[in-house]
Amino acid sequence: MAGCNCGQEKTIIITACSGAANTGLLADQVARKLRAEKVGSMTCLAAIGAELSGYVESARNADRNIIIDGCPVACGAKIFQKLGLKYEEYVMADYEPEKGKTEITQALINDISAHVKADIGSKQACGSALSTTSSI
Amino acid sequence: MKVQILGTGCPKCRTLEANAKIAISELGLEVEVEKVTDIEAIMAMGVMMTPALAVDGTVKSVGRVLTKDQIIPFIRGGK
Repeated sequence: MAGCNCGQEKTIIITACSGAANTGLLADQVARKLRAEKVGSMTCLAAIGAELSGYVESARNADRNIIIDGCPVACGAKIFQKLGLKYEEYVMADYEPEKGKTEITQALINDISAHVKADIGSKQACGSALSTTSSI
Repeated sequence: MKVQILGTGCPKCRTLEANAKIAISELGLEVEVEKVTDIEAIMAMGVMMTPALAVDGTVKSVGRVLTKDQIIPFIRGGK
């Protein structure tokens, strides 16, 4: 959802790789859960990758870009690197799921979403640097 | 050429519009200025924060009130 910047609220944009593997599905579902819980606004990684100007400029001017990548191939992070955009990355395969093997259940989505949400919140609270890769 | 000001009508959007008009006037160009206030239309352009400025359909700035001097290069075709 587009927001007016008049109130100077911190803007957090969430993108997910939403890749073909089970870890891509998990990344997508975690991102959607974070959006539902109002951690930030979700936008399309594909649109940023396609360099559509509105999406790229929105990411450039966001206070924080949270990338949910499925696996260490890290397509989301690589898109942001290519465009010179700051980001924080969470890789689903760093948690527990094995690419191509683990069944993606609602319990797993809830569990990892909670971890990611807590980590995002803790960085917000202490004002850590933003262009980092986060891991557990 | 068309310059679009994307925003729902807040004071910052109005300031950006005013600055854009001053920039256009200073350049002496024939430029159409369009205000885009419909949130769906704004989001369809991928804009997540307003105000935003687009030139000929390309979004140049999001979430910032650009000054006249910052707008001029965009209208001239620079980055």
